Amino acid sequence: MAPLAASQKLTEDLPAGAMQAKATTSCLECHEARIILQQRLSKAAWTKEVDKMMKWGALVDAVDRDALIDYLSTNFSPDQPPYEPPRTSVKKTPGKKSATKAK
Amino acid sequence: MHSRRNFLKQMSGAAIAVSAPPSLLAWTRASQSGSIDVPGEDGLIVRSFRFVDLETPVEYFNTWLTPVSHFFVRNHMHEPSELDAEEWRLTIGGEVEKPWTLTLAELSKFATHSVVNTLECAGNGRSLQRPQVPGVQWGKGAVSTARFSGPRLRDVLQRTGVKPTGKHVMFRGLDEVPGKVPPFIRSIPIEKALDADTLVATHMNGAPLTKHHGFPARALAPGWIGAASCKWLTEIKVLESEFAGNFMSPAYRFPNQPGKPGDAVKPEDTHPLTALSVKSVISGPLDGAKLKAGRVSVHGAAWAGEADVVKVEVSTDGGASWNAASLGHDQAHYAWRLWNYEWTAKSGDYSVLSRATDSQGRTQPATAVWNPSGYLYNAADQVKIHVA
Repeated sequence: MAPLAASQKLTEDLPAGAMQAKATTSCLECHEARIILQQRLSKAAWTKEVDKMMKWGALVDAVDRDALIDYLSTNFSPDQPPYEPPRTSVKKTPGKKSATKAK
Repeated sequence: MHSRRNFLKQMSGAAIAVSAPPSLLAWTRASQSGSIDVPGEDGLIVRSFRFVDLETPVEYFNTWLTPVSHFFVRNHMHEPSELDAEEWRLTIGGEVEKPWTLTLAELSKFATHSVVNTLECAGNGRSLQRPQVPGVQWGKGAVSTARFSGPRLRDVLQRTGVKPTGKHVMFRGLDEVPGKVPPFIRSIPIEKALDADTLVATHMNGAPLTKHHGFPARALAPGWIGAASCKWLTEIKVLESEFAGNFMSPAYRFPNQPGKPGDAVKPEDTHPLTALSVKSVISGPLDGAKLKAGRVSVHGAAWAGEADVVKVEVSTDGGASWNAASLGHDQAHYAWRLWNYEWTAKSGDYSVLSRATDSQGRTQPATAVWNPSGYLYNAADQVKIHVA
């Protein structure tokens, strides 16, 4: 059985890398990863966003700020292909028999 | 390799007996759990689960009223964790003679008014802006239409006696604010607040507002950006001037003059967003569709905020020539018009566009006016299709 497509898990992870754990702690306290995964921004734009997030309460050590900006700029630059989001489940049409028993 | 796509193609339309081999059942369970379950939300695109930001797929834009389970959901921050109809209070104060705190029962005593409104997020279409901008990367579906009903805001305010010094009306909702994020508070000018169609809405398509849509009451500023229609309304304050806070400035502002795409814009060179722009969306055929030569129905919706849509045109040659589409029968001041255009398509690859014009003389441009927040994207809609 093929694994579930990554974008259909309930939660997503930030990309692997040296800053993954710190970015997860700083960023995902308030909102989920998809808020970040869907962005496609230049380094200058990421710098503005990180500073805005820190102003709004994201806990980022000053010594980590540059590395965090680099991590985001590298992974979510404008040339990356778009993020493919999941959908919410579709209601079954009344009258159609389901292949499975209800979970 | 047995791909899930091939499997789903085989399964669709077939009656599956319960006695199917266990491996088939396992496949089906996997694909059932492959989507995210959000109760009450049916097949929406998950831009974010936390905060809840759900987009309507364009193929759903083929009914005049959007069912609540298909209606897009936008949240800047956390939805209220507890909402109790009995405990809820709406406080009205500021530049009024008699400040008042009312219960839902007291609100229900007012005569109700109904407005069919096309609600659109200011950031709808943001993902299409170039250069790309930060924010929720909505495609074309952060827009939906419903019949909202409830007391007129004017009637509620008149009970408190608005003073002549009252020039703006501020709304505060029960959104739960994370970290040090500024609370989601905005204001609208008194003229819009006292307009006969501005509501304290309690119902949507005939049923009480669901939690995602602002239970038990929300502001409803018809024809304006969604952010003006504050959900989980708890405080109304009449002010002498525009509310001063993040979500009035620098957020939700548009450049006074279009600048070079990518250039920064100073807040003093912007004005607050209010009414929506003229816009259309193609709900079928879908981008990337492969169709058979012959009759093709190009269809969708068009809207224009406080103005009326006067025509919708469709191009099947990438904008070189345009043809009038038929507008649907259902209409209301602040609601979209459905439209369709019957086309006899020969084999080939086509760029199909839709372009709406409104009663204020505005027409959708070929390229949207870029702005740093990606607001009010309204370039002519486009789908690329192949006809065999």
